[in-house]
Amino acid sequence: MTVKSIETVAEIPQRITARKRRKALILEVAIVVVVALILLFVMPPLLTAIGQGVRVNQLGRFLALAIVALGIDLIWGYTGLLSLGHGVFFALGGYAFAMFLQLQPVPGQTPGQIPEFFSLYGVSQLPLFWQPFYSLPFTLLAVVLVPAIVAAVLGYLVFRNRIRGVYFSILTQAALIVFFNFFNGQQKLINGTNGLKTDTATLFGLQVGSSPIIQGAFYALSVLLLVGGYALCRWLTSGRMGRMLVAIRDDETRVRFSGYNPTGYKVFVFAISAALAGVAGALYTVQSGIITPKAMDVAFSIEMVIWVAVGGRATLVGAILGALIVNFARTLLSEQYPEFWLFFQGALFLIVVTVLPSGILGWFRTDGMNWVRSLIGRPQLVQTYPSLESDPEVVYERETLGDRESDR
Amino acid sequence: MNEKLLAIENLTVSFDGFKAINNLTFSMAEGELRVVIGPNGAGKTTFMDVITGKTKPTEGQVFFKGRNLRPYTEHEIARMGIGRKFQTPRVYQKLTPRENLELSCVRQKHVFASLFGRTSTAEHRTVTGLLETIGLALKADIPAELLSHGEKQRLEIGMLVAQSPDLLLVDEPVAGLTDEETEKVGDLLLALAESHSIIVIEHDMEFVRQIARKVTVLHQGSVLCEGSIEEVQNDPRVIEVYLGQQPSISPHQMKILRIVTAMAWADGELSPEESNLLLTQLSCLFSDDREQQQQLREELRVYFLQEVPLETALAEIESEQERELIAKLSYDVIRASTRQGDPSPINQLEAIAFQELVKLLQLPPETLTRLEIEV
Repeated sequence: MTVKSIETVAEIPQRITARKRRKALILEVAIVVVVALILLFVMPPLLTAIGQGVRVNQLGRFLALAIVALGIDLIWGYTGLLSLGHGVFFALGGYAFAMFLQLQPVPGQTPGQIPEFFSLYGVSQLPLFWQPFYSLPFTLLAVVLVPAIVAAVLGYLVFRNRIRGVYFSILTQAALIVFFNFFNGQQKLINGTNGLKTDTATLFGLQVGSSPIIQGAFYALSVLLLVGGYALCRWLTSGRMGRMLVAIRDDETRVRFSGYNPTGYKVFVFAISAALAGVAGALYTVQSGIITPKAMDVAFSIEMVIWVAVGGRATLVGAILGALIVNFARTLLSEQYPEFWLFFQGALFLIVVTVLPSGILGWFRTDGMNWVRSLIGRPQLVQTYPSLESDPEVVYERETLGDRESDR
Repeated sequence: MNEKLLAIENLTVSFDGFKAINNLTFSMAEGELRVVIGPNGAGKTTFMDVITGKTKPTEGQVFFKGRNLRPYTEHEIARMGIGRKFQTPRVYQKLTPRENLELSCVRQKHVFASLFGRTSTAEHRTVTGLLETIGLALKADIPAELLSHGEKQRLEIGMLVAQSPDLLLVDEPVAGLTDEETEKVGDLLLALAESHSIIVIEHDMEFVRQIARKVTVLHQGSVLCEGSIEEVQNDPRVIEVYLGQQPSISPHQMKILRIVTAMAWADGELSPEESNLLLTQLSCLFSDDREQQQQLREELRVYFLQEVPLETALAEIESEQERELIAKLSYDVIRASTRQGDPSPINQLEAIAFQELVKLLQLPPETLTRLEIEV
């Protein structure tokens, strides 16, 4: 009898938190749907109406980049593995889709002709690995799976040997340079440094680069896949998997001694993150009209990390916002002051590291939230006990005595 | 072999020629609580590293439930049922205690179970019960980084138990804790010892005395001696490795010293008079040479600080003469504080302790009377 009553008492808070969680989830889904609808149906006409139609294409591209940012956040923000080589996966996705577009029949040409650039290098037979890219389903699979498999193999070799921290970052960057040089040098296979153009290709009888229908479709696809990517990451990071990733970031040794093999988890999350980068690469390529080995530039991969740092590590919304803010800032600033963008970018990164170490969203969730609360006259949020954190004497002591050097 | 939970045979671990573990043989039965002590650099942590698979032995084998552990990695060994607690508390700082325990508690530990598995009601209940046991029920849902050092230590022990291991390895669980927290951790370990086998590595002798049943002393990578806490503490080799020198008195003399010191400590303090008297009397007793007596005084002073239960030490003194000697010395000691013109004749507590001692010594009545007269 007594035992039973104790149990029910213990389970009531659980039920309350479950109900709260469901409420929060419904609210979140509603917000995401509203934002997606705004992006889909309000932003394009609005931007066109104010004479900024060109921004729609930029927004679509940056939304695609936000998908990479989600992937980086997953592997860096949550799991603590700083990858400086996501350009590889981005480019693999981009190249896969560009190859498909290159193989699409161009009206007015004899069907079955191989892409133009091959003739420059005297290649008359389509290389074998191009063959499957005639098929759309295969291409779509390849956009996701090729980066994922490359990441899984690379990740398995690295993580199995317990390479961590800076060494992991260096290795990913080394892989990036290897891939860059390979793609750059192989004219006969993939047109080397010139890359693959997609804007002159045709898809379903329409020219990819100039058809508003195709571009509109890919803009919509970017929005939808970003929502899908967000949902996927949200699912991965909320449940036990998410706690596991944070646990690996906090103390990998403890994870091992608790009976988990972190290698599997790290390979898995690295592959997922690479797949997201691949999807982003495909979407970005179609909207920007070309994919070249420049996508595997070292600076570009580091920029991806900066987006996440600016937005806020380990916050998915932060990663998306970071990608959009930094990229729009770059576009606007380099239109005004073409030479200065790199300085701005450096300054931005320094400000984030020194003033907002947890990024814009991280700041907003703690200090920013408190600031808003103080404006509307609500008490500050506390993590431990109100008696400790809001007691004026304790606060005074911490502020005046805590960080001061010894009295002279 | 079969009834042994853990058996280590001729284990050697060398790092670039330095032997951290040197030909060590160790075994432990199911359900035992074993304390491993040893000075710095004795190889205690390497000992744990080898058992948990973090370091692979250079030579020799480790058997757990009859299985050779060499081919297994850390997580496989952990799944077999060996849980390890590190020196500094290692918990997942950003997760709450509840989540910390849940992660350790879950049975299915591969990637896809983490993706699609749900925590069962039984696991929920285990976690709630454990939070209760380690006294963190009220702080179950704040990030673990906000817990105090002692709470983190208890949380980590809780995480070990959540794994439901057969063998717990606990490395210095009370380092840096207050006395009160130390006692809490001690009680927790004793409670756990009822259902688990435990190896504790510890420096704090006070704590060792609280929990120890059987003690193994490691020194320079080998087992120096093994036995009850009293046996170990009186072993001259142990004293040597801890104090850095061979005691110049025999184990037997050491026992006499211990008993008499216990008298002096009966009232909870060792007054300077008592200490001086003991030093003079004992150094004269153990040596005839003047210079040696001087050295002895320095050495013996260190031994005064170690406490030992009376009964066990007394049981090992057999000769009548020595019993008499002990009685006489003890009587001198308890009177020492009185000589300084203290109004009360003899300190009450010490008097009671002396009476106890005399009873234990079982001296014939005539010897006693002779002593009273002599003194």
